[in-house]
Amino acid sequence: MAEEENQFEEFEQIDFLKDRHVRFFQRTLQVLPERYASLETTRLSILFFALSGLDVLDALEVVDSKVMIEWIYSQQVLPTQDKSNLNRGGFRGSAHIGIPYSTKGPGVLHPYDSGHVAMTYTGLCSLLILGDDLSRVNKEAVLAGLKVLQIEDGSFYAVPEGSENDIRFIYCAASICYMLDDWSGMDTQKAIEYIRGSLSYDNAFGQGAGRESHGGWTYCAIASLCLMGRLDEALSPRELNRIRRWCIMRQQSGFHGRPNKPVDTCYSFWVGATLELLDVFQFTHFEKNRSFILSTQDRLVGGFAKWPDSHPDPLHAYLGLCGLSLIGEPDLRKVHPALNITQRAFQHLQQLQQTWRDNAGSCVGRQ
Amino acid sequence: RKEREKKLKVYVAARDACFSKRKDGVFDDEALQLTQQLLSANPDFATLWNYRREILTHLETVKDEDEAQKIYEAELSFLESCLKVNPKSYGSWHHRGWVSARLPRPDWARELRLCDRCLSLDDRNFHCWDYRRMVVKMSSVPVKQELEFTDRLIGSNFSNYSSWHYRSTLLPLLHPGSPEPPPSRLCEEQLLKEYELVQNAFFTDPNDQSAWFYYRWLLGRAEREEMISCAYVSREQERVAVAFSRPVNSGSLLLVLDGQPQRVEWRSVHPHFKHSPVWICDLPPGTISDIANEHNLTVHWTEKHTHRDCALYTGRSESWCRDTATDLELFRSELSVEKTSVLQSELQSVNQLQELEPLNKWCLLTIILLMRALDPLGYEKETLAHFQTLKEVDSMRSAYYSDLCSKFMIENTILKMEYAEVRVFSISDRNLTTLCHLDQLLLVTHINLSSNQLRRLPPQFAMLQCLEVVEADNNSIENLEGVYHLPKLEEVSLKNNKISTLADLQPLASCPKLRRLDLRGNPVTQTANVESELAELLPSVADLLL
Repeated sequence: MAEEENQFEEFEQIDFLKDRHVRFFQRTLQVLPERYASLETTRLSILFFALSGLDVLDALEVVDSKVMIEWIYSQQVLPTQDKSNLNRGGFRGSAHIGIPYSTKGPGVLHPYDSGHVAMTYTGLCSLLILGDDLSRVNKEAVLAGLKVLQIEDGSFYAVPEGSENDIRFIYCAASICYMLDDWSGMDTQKAIEYIRGSLSYDNAFGQGAGRESHGGWTYCAIASLCLMGRLDEALSPRELNRIRRWCIMRQQSGFHGRPNKPVDTCYSFWVGATLELLDVFQFTHFEKNRSFILSTQDRLVGGFAKWPDSHPDPLHAYLGLCGLSLIGEPDLRKVHPALNITQRAFQHLQQLQQTWRDNAGSCVGRQ
Repeated sequence: RKEREKKLKVYVAARDACFSKRKDGVFDDEALQLTQQLLSANPDFATLWNYRREILTHLETVKDEDEAQKIYEAELSFLESCLKVNPKSYGSWHHRGWVSARLPRPDWARELRLCDRCLSLDDRNFHCWDYRRMVVKMSSVPVKQELEFTDRLIGSNFSNYSSWHYRSTLLPLLHPGSPEPPPSRLCEEQLLKEYELVQNAFFTDPNDQSAWFYYRWLLGRAEREEMISCAYVSREQERVAVAFSRPVNSGSLLLVLDGQPQRVEWRSVHPHFKHSPVWICDLPPGTISDIANEHNLTVHWTEKHTHRDCALYTGRSESWCRDTATDLELFRSELSVEKTSVLQSELQSVNQLQELEPLNKWCLLTIILLMRALDPLGYEKETLAHFQTLKEVDSMRSAYYSDLCSKFMIENTILKMEYAEVRVFSISDRNLTTLCHLDQLLLVTHINLSSNQLRRLPPQFAMLQCLEVVEADNNSIENLEGVYHLPKLEEVSLKNNKISTLADLQPLASCPKLRRLDLRGNPVTQTANVESELAELLPSVADLLL
């Protein structure tokens, strides 16, 4: 369309400072300022933002993959000799509990050690991004640990001890099952019921039933259904059209997450990717979206902030890049909208899964 | 720097002390102190909240009720200070919920006041709203009271999306509509009151989305029942095609012919679709081919306990049974079954506003919606004009509006076709950017899509199982995926499109009766040896125009 061609011409006006962003992520991987101390427990997810960000920038060569992979594996909750802690499997956010460093089993039993569903999700993504073959992931433990987190209403806790439960963790669970190519870790039907129950009067998704519609939770809902392959089954064409409408209306310049809220860089991905999964991203205004994202770019330090003239942080830096990637910014790798990793990392996953299937096939043959 | 190191040391010491205490099963005041210290710095350290809950549970068992009350109240104070620092901490709110539920003598009024204070600072804090809902539930605050709460909030500030949202959940509890057909969300009396309230809101501030979304919800209606919308049978193809009201799996479909269940294999129209609104099956050869015989078919959708009958009479080569779009009020069904007079009055009000606010997109969208509910064909001209304005005032979304407008034009064409009782679908020179509702076109024999802006005939196009002639000249078509296994298709005209490679024409080879193909004005005609290549690809096409 003629409109699109004009949009591409204007791309050149604001420059995208690729090198600064590479350095921003490099620094993220080293030391973070004190105000990030509260994120210690979710450190692995910060690592994911940096690694995936560098992947999108096609700059993973600055990372020492081997060291990273070892560190990630050291966050895996390893089964003890007698496998009594199997249902606490998964990956931790960091070493804050104080388990002695170990990347190989058997594990040490600690009453308060367990995986955290979002850390398991970002941990597996990070390993894929670094080119690891997931051979040291104890799938049995991860899936057992995942299963116990799902509750009656279909949603998930983050940790077996209990926490808040909502749609975010359904997304993490679905991603984990998808990556490991094994859906025994969750009851998908129940999860779908919870998701459907979270559909609000204005045709978007809240964190749970009766809760307010939000771009982030809508992403979790739609992406989960796509990963499960059940989008058309769970939602009628009419519902899908209404959801598309709610999402399209989130664009103001960039995107906001809820009506009457200010636009925020991260929603260029959360809402953008949802629109992409619903096949209507091409109806958004690329140039306005790009202008907003770049207005939150920190020209000195690199990275992106949620708003212009704010401090950049790893989450917004990463999702800002993903937002730009969706609109086809040159020099950025394409992102898989449901799994939130690059297509390159996704292809690596596909190859791994093919190998697993082939091996499983050949095992059966031998019987 | 020394400060930071010192801080780090203190933090690590406290943290390790906490964990070793927890590990040893120690649940004392010192533990509370330590966790308090750490949580003040990092309220999202979930494990520490869990430890704290263990400590409190333990203390409950060794203290009497008064002491426990004091401890929990102290906990609530601590939480208030945490929330002051970070009002959006999942950990803090979750813990407060836990504490409130365990308090021997809870003070729900105080909790509500806390919510009020929090919401006055940020009326969109969903953590607070969610907590408030819990408090209301635990303390059995009457729904009426909560509704009055939203009255106050909305009254003081119409632009309060979260309040409208809350209202949408409360109203159906207090004033339920009727479950019997036609199903409605709210009882009529209340609905009319709500219309008035929300009109005040959008007249006061037409640019605020909250009221418009709420209004749309009020006007809307629940999904209609799932059903088989059409069953079609052809003697010549010995085939049955079934259309459903939404995409389905073939799992629960059963075909009965003359009282005998048939073992058939259902397939969707295109390999892309495991889920499809249209399914086809072939009958064993000879079953219905004799035109002297009459047959009765029934398609059962066992999962939904519904079925459709179709009688194939002697001398007839095909037959069908369907509900028309008009019967189903298919396209109007976006909106409720309000009395026409009510919708007319709503349209009048919104039109008034539109005169005052000609550039307001919400107004235009709502007018279009109401017009389509009242009389889609009668208001066609106005609707098109409003779409034009809409694309100008909200140019950022003009591509989306073009798509929406295409959809409405297709709906109107279907209605016209049904009124005329013909099987010809013609919609040319309408700026169509997309095709939809193709599941409604199962019976169409001739389709004219010329002079539009279509880029492809998508896989869903294969649902047009009765198609004999396609005219789609003067578009930008480069993809013909949907022209796939159309058993009766004889003529295709694609002049002046963007078909560029022979591969693009591959799907046509699956149409056995195709004899006439017009490709003039397409880049593919410049391909080397195009005539001989096409003769090989499409041997049945005797009449080829390049």
